[in-house]
Amino acid sequence: MTGSGSGNHSTNSESATGAIRAGTTGILFVVPALVLYAAFVLWPLGSSVYYSMTDWDGIGQARWIGFANFERAFSDKIHLASYLHVSLYILGTLVFEVSFGLFMAVLLNSDRPGFATLRALFFSPVVLSMSAAGVLWTFVFDYRTGIINAALTNLGLAQWAQPWLSQPATALLCVMLVSGWKFAGLYMILFFAALRRIPRHLYEAARLEGAGALWCFFKITLPLLKQNVLVAVLLAVTGGFAGFDLFFTMTNGQPYNSTEVPATWIMKQAFDNDQLGYGIALTVILTTVVCLISLVYLRYAERGHVVEY
Amino acid sequence: MMARKERACRVFSLLALGSLVFGSIAIATDGAEAGEVRITHSITGGAQKEALDSIIADFEKANPGIKIKQIVYDDDLYSDTGLITQLKSSSPPEIYFQWAGAPIGRDAREGFAMDLTAAMGEAGWKDSFIAPAFSAQMGAVNDGKPYLVPITLDVTNVIWYNKQLFKEAGIEVPKDWAALVDLTKKLSSSGKTPFVIGNQELWPLGNWASHIASRVVPPADYEAAFRLAKPFNTPDFEKALTLVDELRKAQGFNKDIAGLGADPAMNTFFQGAAVMHPIGSWLVSSAADLADKDFDYDEFNTPLIDPKHPLKDSVIGTLTGFAVGAKSANPQEALTFLRFFTTPENQVKWAEAGSFSPVKGVMEKAKLDPKTKAMADLLNTAQSLVPPPDTTYPVEVAEAYYQAAAYVAGGEKTPKDALIWLDDRVKGMRKQ
Repeated sequence: MTGSGSGNHSTNSESATGAIRAGTTGILFVVPALVLYAAFVLWPLGSSVYYSMTDWDGIGQARWIGFANFERAFSDKIHLASYLHVSLYILGTLVFEVSFGLFMAVLLNSDRPGFATLRALFFSPVVLSMSAAGVLWTFVFDYRTGIINAALTNLGLAQWAQPWLSQPATALLCVMLVSGWKFAGLYMILFFAALRRIPRHLYEAARLEGAGALWCFFKITLPLLKQNVLVAVLLAVTGGFAGFDLFFTMTNGQPYNSTEVPATWIMKQAFDNDQLGYGIALTVILTTVVCLISLVYLRYAERGHVVEY
Repeated sequence: MMARKERACRVFSLLALGSLVFGSIAIATDGAEAGEVRITHSITGGAQKEALDSIIADFEKANPGIKIKQIVYDDDLYSDTGLITQLKSSSPPEIYFQWAGAPIGRDAREGFAMDLTAAMGEAGWKDSFIAPAFSAQMGAVNDGKPYLVPITLDVTNVIWYNKQLFKEAGIEVPKDWAALVDLTKKLSSSGKTPFVIGNQELWPLGNWASHIASRVVPPADYEAAFRLAKPFNTPDFEKALTLVDELRKAQGFNKDIAGLGADPAMNTFFQGAAVMHPIGSWLVSSAADLADKDFDYDEFNTPLIDPKHPLKDSVIGTLTGFAVGAKSANPQEALTFLRFFTTPENQVKWAEAGSFSPVKGVMEKAKLDPKTKAMADLLNTAQSLVPPPDTTYPVEVAEAYYQAAAYVAGGEKTPKDALIWLDDRVKGMRKQ
């Protein structure tokens, strides 16, 4: 009994030691990842919040000013307007990128010869860098030497030639169009992959019942793509808020701040104007806005997870 | 077996952690080697870069113990993040390019730039420069101490014009502002674009608009407004922006002024698509690469606006130079190089590459092309030199003024409304 009890005790003790050892080893394995996470995520996050409450030019000593940067941010009309511009831009991306990408995916969803090439062509702008695309399209939209105005002039429509990137009425629309050109192909591929997973017999059954193409799209395709659409919208919204490259290369926030978006305004304040503290405060606000929108959106998306058809 | 495995795992984890820590330390301590002088700047190409390379090669030949390493950035990248990152690093460069005025003043205050009082006092180094280079107005000096070795004086705005198009239109260089407005009307009514300005980044028109304001607003009020001690919305500033508005009303500006970049605007001028182009003296070196050989151009300063104003004949210009990093590894070698760089012989090379050298006698000695000579004469004969606001006052205030001028030039706001907007914009800055 005693022997047996002693044996149990010994076994328990050994297993406890083993668990501690395993735990220690586990911790040691986790430590590098934790250090990296702390160094590259937690520390920058914490220091960002700290510096957002300072008057700091990035060179000298940061001076603690509490919430003054945030107070200034909420009375900075260009900053506030930048959220309106980015919202319009996001709406534009939903139309020119997500909707058009979906449209093209449905249109090119075929195994007939040539369709794969068409899909590849439509996808090809995605591989270009954003900056290169921006610079390229700046030439296209150029008032004097751009292809668009040259084409209009050659068609006898010279009066329609516009300084597209230099007037508030058209500049943002131009950026949206270029963004659509650049990313519609990506959404097309996402939707195309999802479309291939929809069972064919659903369409065949519907057609036997006399359903047309539109009915099939709205009653079969769209409901079955709901999750993909939700993900695409989330990507477009969060990507839109982070939009910088195209705006920077095509308009740099001009004309008259009409294409100023949070990212371009943050860059100008932080680096052009040497107000890093203020720029970081604007970044904290942007991060908070994007996180809140993403959380609300994901919550909504999870609720709508069940598909009825 | 298990114990050995565990031990190996622990050792591996510790090694990984150690390599991370020691790796960071190794990166942090990577600095200049003995006898190495790292010089960071934004001179990426053209005649100036060739001259700099040549002077460096001569220096290394004459000083075998010292090696020069250039760290070159694109202009915007340098001023936005490139320089800051280097100055804040644990091994700042020995020499860095900097603008006089607010930028070098900040570096002096923050302890990044070395006080050059002692070095400048040796062997009459300071006396080898023209006196205005160390005037308080030009900003190489902070609290009476020199922090910058001046290398170039730049005119930041004159009005370049196409001589052929002037001749065709039968117009001459205007003597005063009214004449400028008249010739603008004449050119626009004949279907020409009088001025091309690429104002996407705001400073091209902003520099000119601030020069105009400096000739209209009493100097003390001008200074006080940019220092946020007084409002901008005054009759004098309104008059200054009204002058810009007069040119707009005369259809003086290119239609794409607000979205066009500075470089494309210069190309437009070189292509003869516009008659005039207000920009700085660097147009001369760009013309060598971008303009046709028979492209005939010249310049005139902003014409007389108010004959009673104390700065009525001013030229808007800025001084740039090299600062020595206060915490750099080899400051003495850096000073040796800068003394070599600013010898009259080397400065002649520098001037012949298109720079206005602030070293005494150089501009007279150098074989200058006529355009550089004209710029030199403009600076030499200037009654007063006005620095551009974005290198003199808080940048965000200068940018806000530039934006107000852009609104007026684009017809988006009246001068009065633009100034109301401007005061509202800088209000938030005052709170800091």
